[in-house]
Amino acid sequence: MSFSWKIAGISYLKYTQVCARVVRNSLKEEQRLVAQRRDEQGLKYAKWESGKQGELKPVEEQRTG
Amino acid sequence: MNFFTRAARVAFRIKPYTPAARFYANEAPSNNLKFSFALPHQTIYQNADVQQVNISSTAGDMGILANHVPSIEQLKPGIIEVLENATTTKKFFVSGGFAIINSNSSLDINAVEAFPLEDFSIEAVRTGLAEAQRTVASNSSEEEKNIARIEVEVYEALQSALGKGS
Repeated sequence: MSFSWKIAGISYLKYTQVCARVVRNSLKEEQRLVAQRRDEQGLKYAKWESGKQGELKPVEEQRTG
Repeated sequence: MNFFTRAARVAFRIKPYTPAARFYANEAPSNNLKFSFALPHQTIYQNADVQQVNISSTAGDMGILANHVPSIEQLKPGIIEVLENATTTKKFFVSGGFAIINSNSSLDINAVEAFPLEDFSIEAVRTGLAEAQRTVASNSSEEEKNIARIEVEVYEALQSALGKGS
């Protein structure tokens, strides 16, 4: 096991994210479908102005992975 | 002067250290490892009594028993083998994480994903590996290739883990 990912400038978080994705992807059908749902994460934001919530926008359209 | 000689005589009378008698369970330390194994979405073991845990860390494969030297190990994508007792052994594949060996014979493992070996499909591993290898060989961007290289490594670890028999 090398740390080639570190040399390539990939962060540990990104590295574990990739590893986890591979592991989920290698599961049998039924476990995979449950596990892959965990991979989907999103963040939305809205600007509040004078006590009112503005439009809710996703921070990132696509999940990079 | 008299005082000193008396003090010396008293000092000699002090018995050499003899260990106090032991009484049942209040003293004898358990020879078991207290094992906790947690994922963000699931707790697999919580302070469970186990005999031994084998991990594959970035520093190498290691077996952890009770009274292990305290240390923190980064886990490779690989097998965690839990020897619960003389007859039951469970194997998990973890995607990576950390094992924290505490001085009180407890071991905490945190991982992102962990599944028993029988949950994996060798066909899915093979197709995934082929796809990742294709990306490494293709003329995609260096960034994509670096990601694919990690994928190849994990798929290969999975393949060898499953090949050893589950």
